[in-house]
Amino acid sequence: MLNELIFKFASWLDTFQSSTDLHESLYMYAWVETTHVLTLILFLGMLFVIDLRLLGVAFKEVKVSTIVERLDKPMMIGFVVMIISGALLFYAIPVRSAQSIWFRIKVILLIAAGINALLIRNMTRSPDMQTWDNDPVPPKRVRVGAALSIGLWTGVIGVGRSMAYDWWDCTKELPYFMYWAAGCVNEMAALEQ
Amino acid sequence: MDVVFIFQWLDTSMLADFAKSWAGLFAAVQTVHIASMVVLVGMILLGDLRMLNVLLTDVPANTVIQNTKKWIYLALVFIILSGIYEASAIAMKLAYNSFFFAKMAGLSMGVLFILSLRSAVYRRAPGLVYPEGSSEVLPESDTLQPWIVKLVAATSLLIWFSVAANGRWIGFS
Repeated sequence: MLNELIFKFASWLDTFQSSTDLHESLYMYAWVETTHVLTLILFLGMLFVIDLRLLGVAFKEVKVSTIVERLDKPMMIGFVVMIISGALLFYAIPVRSAQSIWFRIKVILLIAAGINALLIRNMTRSPDMQTWDNDPVPPKRVRVGAALSIGLWTGVIGVGRSMAYDWWDCTKELPYFMYWAAGCVNEMAALEQ
Repeated sequence: MDVVFIFQWLDTSMLADFAKSWAGLFAAVQTVHIASMVVLVGMILLGDLRMLNVLLTDVPANTVIQNTKKWIYLALVFIILSGIYEASAIAMKLAYNSFFFAKMAGLSMGVLFILSLRSAVYRRAPGLVYPEGSSEVLPESDTLQPWIVKLVAATSLLIWFSVAANGRWIGFS
């Protein structure tokens, strides 16, 4: 059901001429992807510095609040442009992206990283933070959140990069479960017949 | 100078055989390469933007530079090792790829820049608390003009921007 809805939505996006134009353009697609990678570097570069401070392995002599507050703005600029360019990349190749197992794992990891980021944000903005703001090594729960953040975002990089590979594309002969996980609705229907 | 023989040697090496036969591992190494690039550029950005008085302006500049240094070196080691592994799998393709050579030129320039000019200039930035941890400020007579420090910071940003951008364009050419 959800697979069919996603497939219909992706197929609808695919009917737009601008989607095809972007995909087939000589330079524009490459520039959008370059923007995506460069802003990912800006966003994650700032985020990893915050996480390393929260882990207590970098900038130990600087207040946690200083690092978190000062790096928030460049990090968010990177995040917004990264999301916009990422949406354009999806728009350029909607059906293949929607039916990519890697893209699906990426979305799950992004949601998990987003929830984790909200939890960290709450911890670094609560009144209780003043008790450990100057500590070289923050409390364990904060360090666990920071380690999770680095792990989840590294996972996002990994699956994002793997989208370029066709190992588990719908065009390949795969087990039914993989067709289901990737949302290959036509291939699933063919197997069911 | 013709350097194709280096790529031919790499292409026939045991490392290349290994990298070509393990596609999953190749993708994992690519992830390490990109994650290391993120750490490297993030730390360099922090130092350069601090010197440009854009970011962390209330943190002493040498605290920022000292804290970023070891991460920059660590990330560079991972980038170079993972980069050699990646290059071995597609050596002959890279031998004729101009973006690869542009990236290598930028990377070499960036490493030399960090080890020489950038660190030398940043050590003599005006208003720098020196030595680290003390309240002693570097005497004015020993400091450089602020515009020199800012020019070095802007050049550093430009070099690493070109390395990251050329790295992405290797895949498009």
